[in-house]
Amino acid sequence: MVGRGEASRRPDGRMFVSIDAWHAAAFDRLAEVMLAALRRPLHTVVDETDLDLTAQWQRTGFTMRRREWEYSVPTDPGATGLDPARPPSGVTIRAFGSAEEAPLRALDRTIRDEVEAGPGWQDMPAEVLARPVFDPSRYAVAAQSGQYVGLLRVATVTRLPRIGLIAVRADRQRRGIARALLAHTLGALHVIGKERASAEVTESNMAATALFEGIGARRAGSNLELILR
Amino acid sequence: MARTSNGIELEGTVLECLRNATFRVELQNGHKVLAHISGKIRKNYIKILPYDRVLVELSPYDLTRGRIVFRYRS
Repeated sequence: MVGRGEASRRPDGRMFVSIDAWHAAAFDRLAEVMLAALRRPLHTVVDETDLDLTAQWQRTGFTMRRREWEYSVPTDPGATGLDPARPPSGVTIRAFGSAEEAPLRALDRTIRDEVEAGPGWQDMPAEVLARPVFDPSRYAVAAQSGQYVGLLRVATVTRLPRIGLIAVRADRQRRGIARALLAHTLGALHVIGKERASAEVTESNMAATALFEGIGARRAGSNLELILR
Repeated sequence: MARTSNGIELEGTVLECLRNATFRVELQNGHKVLAHISGKIRKNYIKILPYDRVLVELSPYDLTRGRIVFRYRS
């Protein structure tokens, strides 16, 4: 076998394609067949430093749709400048594993409804798309006036913890709640000996970019989402 | 070594992340190869880091080259 192509639909309905080929001629042939058979728009993801693969997709007509930065985030409060002990006034942070499942599910549903009614999912990092299997041990939650208002989910599939989702209800944003969740999470990771975590932020999300870069996160890589319209 | 419909696949350990989205992987037989990640892994945003255990499909044209097709959880 000299190559293979694959197409799959994401939870938001978009079709993503990939091709693995050992040489350019096989890539081009597979692309020709796949692109003729599949309904547009089509999407694919490439590592921005993979110049050969990016050029191969561009040769078939794909263009850049968005860039997603991968951040390496320090956890040491001395490096981040975050104080886990000081959330905004009136906000309490429920530690990993201590959130109640029913209100956590309700908050997740509220936030997803807000996204669907507003910006949509197309500029969100991929991991956010799938509805999660609820495991409270993966969530830190912000509560205010007895109500859950923000959440942060961490995935620890490998040694590098990954901040998969930070979200705050629309009516409670711009109050430092996301920063407080991040402070709690990074502080907790530091205590258990994790020196860094990873996070993905779409380039156009200025608030998230400012949040991460403001705590000393550095760009460790980038992915390009390409589209064929 | 496993010879599957996908070609020759071997387990290995990631030694180093290199430029150009390439990884140096030490296979179970001690050989070292340069490997890219498969489109499926890329599409699913699976991160590959040093010390990760991975499954590598070797190139039939150059046995020092490969493609990471799976990352083990531990």
